[in-house]
Amino acid sequence: MHEIIQRLDEKREKARHGGGQKRIDAQHAKGKLTARERIELLLDDGTFEEWDMFKEHRCVDFGMADNKIPSDGVVTGYGTINGRMVFIYSQDFTVFGGALSEAHAEKICKIMDKAMQVGAPVIGMNDSGGARIQEGVAALGGYAEVFQRNVLASGVIPQISLIMGPCAGGAVYSPAMTDFIFMVKDSSYMFVTGPEVVKTVTHEEVTAEELGGALTHTAKSGVADLAFDDDVEAIIMLRRFFNYLPLNNKEKAPIRPTQDPADRVDYSLDTLVPDNPNKPYDIKELIVKVVDDADFFEIMPDHAKNIVIGFARMEGQTVGIVANQPMVLAGCLDIKSSIKAARFVRFCDAFSIPIVTFVDVPGFMPGTAQEYGGIIKHGAKLLYAYAECTVPKVTLITRKAYGGAYDVMASKHLRGDVNFAWPSAEIAVMGPKGAVEIIFREEKNDPEKVAAREAEYKAKFANPFVAGARGFIDDVIQPHETRKRICRSLVMLRNKKIDNPWRKHGNIPL
Amino acid sequence: MFKKILIANRGEIACRVIKTARKMGIQTVAVYSEADRDSLHVEMADEAVCIGPAPSKESYLVMDKIVAACKKTGAEAVHPGYGFLSENEAFSKKLEEEGIVFIGPKHYSVAAMGDKIASKKLANEAKVSTIPGYNDAIDSPERAVEIAKGIGYPVMIKASAGGGGKGLRVAFNDKEAHEGFASCKTEAKNAFGDDRVFIEKYVESPRHIEIQVLGDAHGNCVYLHERECSIQRRHQKVIEEAPSPFLDEKTRKAMGEQAVALAKAVNYQSAGTVEFVVDGKTREFYFLEMNTRLQVEHPVTELITGLDLVELMIRVAAGEKLPFAQKDIKMDGWAMECRINAEDPFRGFLPSTGRLVKFVPPAEEKEGNKGVRVDTGVYEGGEISMYYDSMIAKLIVHGASRDQAIARMRDALNAFVIRGVASNIAFQAALMQHPRFVSGNFNTGLIAEEYPHGFNAADVPHDDPAMLIAVSAAMHRQYLERRATISGQMPGHEYQPGSDFVVRLEDGVDHEVMVETATDGMGWDVRYGGENYAIRTNWQFGQPLYQGTLNNEPFCMQVERRGLKYRLFHWGTQADIMVLSKRAAELQALMPKKAPPDMSKFLLSPMPGLLTHIAVAVGQEVKAGEVLAKIEAMKMENVLKAERDCVVDQLLAKAGESLSVDQPIIGFK
Repeated sequence: MHEIIQRLDEKREKARHGGGQKRIDAQHAKGKLTARERIELLLDDGTFEEWDMFKEHRCVDFGMADNKIPSDGVVTGYGTINGRMVFIYSQDFTVFGGALSEAHAEKICKIMDKAMQVGAPVIGMNDSGGARIQEGVAALGGYAEVFQRNVLASGVIPQISLIMGPCAGGAVYSPAMTDFIFMVKDSSYMFVTGPEVVKTVTHEEVTAEELGGALTHTAKSGVADLAFDDDVEAIIMLRRFFNYLPLNNKEKAPIRPTQDPADRVDYSLDTLVPDNPNKPYDIKELIVKVVDDADFFEIMPDHAKNIVIGFARMEGQTVGIVANQPMVLAGCLDIKSSIKAARFVRFCDAFSIPIVTFVDVPGFMPGTAQEYGGIIKHGAKLLYAYAECTVPKVTLITRKAYGGAYDVMASKHLRGDVNFAWPSAEIAVMGPKGAVEIIFREEKNDPEKVAAREAEYKAKFANPFVAGARGFIDDVIQPHETRKRICRSLVMLRNKKIDNPWRKHGNIPL
Repeated sequence: MFKKILIANRGEIACRVIKTARKMGIQTVAVYSEADRDSLHVEMADEAVCIGPAPSKESYLVMDKIVAACKKTGAEAVHPGYGFLSENEAFSKKLEEEGIVFIGPKHYSVAAMGDKIASKKLANEAKVSTIPGYNDAIDSPERAVEIAKGIGYPVMIKASAGGGGKGLRVAFNDKEAHEGFASCKTEAKNAFGDDRVFIEKYVESPRHIEIQVLGDAHGNCVYLHERECSIQRRHQKVIEEAPSPFLDEKTRKAMGEQAVALAKAVNYQSAGTVEFVVDGKTREFYFLEMNTRLQVEHPVTELITGLDLVELMIRVAAGEKLPFAQKDIKMDGWAMECRINAEDPFRGFLPSTGRLVKFVPPAEEKEGNKGVRVDTGVYEGGEISMYYDSMIAKLIVHGASRDQAIARMRDALNAFVIRGVASNIAFQAALMQHPRFVSGNFNTGLIAEEYPHGFNAADVPHDDPAMLIAVSAAMHRQYLERRATISGQMPGHEYQPGSDFVVRLEDGVDHEVMVETATDGMGWDVRYGGENYAIRTNWQFGQPLYQGTLNNEPFCMQVERRGLKYRLFHWGTQADIMVLSKRAAELQALMPKKAPPDMSKFLLSPMPGLLTHIAVAVGQEVKAGEVLAKIEAMKMENVLKAERDCVVDQLLAKAGESLSVDQPIIGFK
């Protein structure tokens, strides 16, 4: 017995050292933490329960039979973040470069299965050279096992990926199917094929950082949601982010009590929308001034900046915020912003998070680039997401709500629960200039008449009352009382329950 | 008394005049340009008249429009404030012709004092001590050099119609006199439409001290003591105080009496200011000029004398007699004013425009000796436009002594919240604790001498870093305690915030602290370096002001949470501080130190403004010092020059484009 315990201690000690001190030092030299250090930082002190520490690979080819390290390149288990359950896996780059073997994949699948059964989120910390080549198809099978679980868990438990090292080839598809991807600048990258292959096939010369670094994916491609300066920042910010999310699709998001009064007024909002309809303003000021404690956790801040998404709280309750940003491209909807917002809306819907939408949208972006890129289908994604969504939806039109984009942005017609407008709202098919050019085409050469018609159109439609008269707007509210009115609406909607008709699944325009 | 007056001005001074008029039961009419439609003065006045487009040349400076506004509203008198038409002889004459009272001196007094050369002659005749110089307009640079030599260097070259620091040069030799004359003349012509220039002796170690005078239509004239205005940046006043820490009773009396003599010589019937330059060693004083208007810094005089200068101006204009004589004028305690400007001290004081996302001035206090006064014309949610000057508020304090006034000003600056546009608050706070300022032993060169390379964050180390450490640790603990209140935690496994932390300052040095919730439940006790720091605060998350007591002493800081860092603003210091658990601090120490991205290959816009001109083309070789581009902001043209030799690679902005701060304009190879 004593001998067994001694062996256990030795095995544990060996496992804790991963690939050995030399590799740990190399990991640190790259500015990266080890798999276990990351877990230590992510979870509440002393709450980590590790599983499969002694698991080893079963490969016998290419001399691997004698090359076994307990844990096999990934540390798995569960623990708590701020007292709430979470399952985690953390790939260990010091062990076989974090490469995924069949056993490695089994460990990940084991915690995912359990997470699904108990209804707790899964956080994966990716730092892996790819498939364990020595194992061949066994490793590929391992990936697919993980993919299958990512898909089954999607919409059941939140899944978050932290990319903290390489993540290339097939490996990218597991994070790709999780709900959120966070990356670390300068030390992580994601791509389907690396720079060497790119060079051979397309003759493009590109660095790994340019091809798939954190800035590439958080600004250009939109694959990742947030980029952080280093591992420590990424992990501590992830702890904050985790506090917004429910544990699974049957629970509500957690409440964090606040002392910020629900009826707090802010008169500076009365001047937020400039008199000149072509002058931009920062919609984030509205968000920050309306939510609890001025705390807004923005997601994808550098990608498709013409729409702003993120989490905040209203009277302690998590809400998802979607807002057109007039500062960028006048806040219009285009391919990227539609996809960005659609995916966020679907996440909120899947996890019972109410959605607050701030609308100032002049329409969809025109042009061949957009049409050839398929704006019709991509814009439809956002429309589909809002229309399908059954969580509480509170919408506020601050200024422009023109054309099809008005319909898309959580309008009354898409089962918006409470639709407000500020007095500055203009709800119409299009702006006065364009409308007059079409309706009064025969007068287009008479500037005086055109001006008069524009004024007429403006007087009729550049206000919230036409929409109000039809009941498309529930009330016109003063900007300074925005917080109060949204809070009340959300309280009223707290027990909202509607169901979509039974179906296997809808056919969202992918 | 008048029933209705019009205020031909904008911003804080318009609001200031409206307040007094309201107190006197007089109705007020505001005028505004299209850019000022939503301004505070328009809101405060009983009536408001739009007088044209944003540029002041087309609105606030157009006499006919002011007169028309008077007629339209039935205003009987006009208060001009300062700047704009306040010292315009033609304007007061015109009003007189139209039967409208000008609340200010008679036009002949304005005329006599408006011209610097003529006023100097008048002063000589009134036996006012004047500075050696040449009092006639000078026609050529050669003649200017000759005259300068005659007076002896250094000399000052001034535009006759100048003011506010415009059209002014100092020359230490013939070359500078030659060049200074030419540029002064051009600037004077552009700014004032009057290119007459004169030359006088330049006093070294000079102090700028001015005497407030007040006359009525019945031949009475008194002086309301002095204001010390030596703290200037590029000839613009930054801090003013009354009394002056430099004057003795004898000098004060002599200056006051000469000022009154001068005012009487021009039959001065309003509030006016006689400016003197005072030799910092000998206390000899020389007349500089007389400002025939209400000064920006008049509140410091009001706080020590207990008088309302605007009220007295209105009464005098209405024909009333001064209600007091010289012997009745009080001099009580110490008053100080900081001009709060929308400018970024860390970027060479470039003007900053935009929306005032947050604007919360410190609370005004009037009881007893605890005076804090804020004169402002802006409000939270308002817009700082590029059309007018950058002063957005005046922060004025009163104390029993100079030290008390300084202490009060430091507290008030800590509590002044401005977000959305940059402000000079950090710079003002730095001056308030500068030993030379605190000692009272300074001259007009203080800022230029002490901050020769501009103002940097490193210029203001915090007096008491332990305070920053304690506050950031307590605030961190508050965030963790809030986190512990989140619902859905597993019973028996709840999150524990912990009490041992490492506070990492910007220099990377770690400080171990222990934080505990105070037993009285109203705050936090931070143990650091063997001391206890008892912080009691009712701060709420998201609020910029973190105030309360620290070991029973009141304190106030401004705080922002930015990712893992807390940014604290206090006494002019801006500190980014991380608070981590011990383990997290160990791991954080392993993280690479990342240098900020290299923007040296770009010309960045130093301020928001209009790009008026790009002077280079792609591929062009540029030598250090060559002009690259021009930006217009706040009425000022800013010339951006190459800092080193370089080759233009790409143009990233076009002339006519509105730029945001740090927007790249030109890329270099």
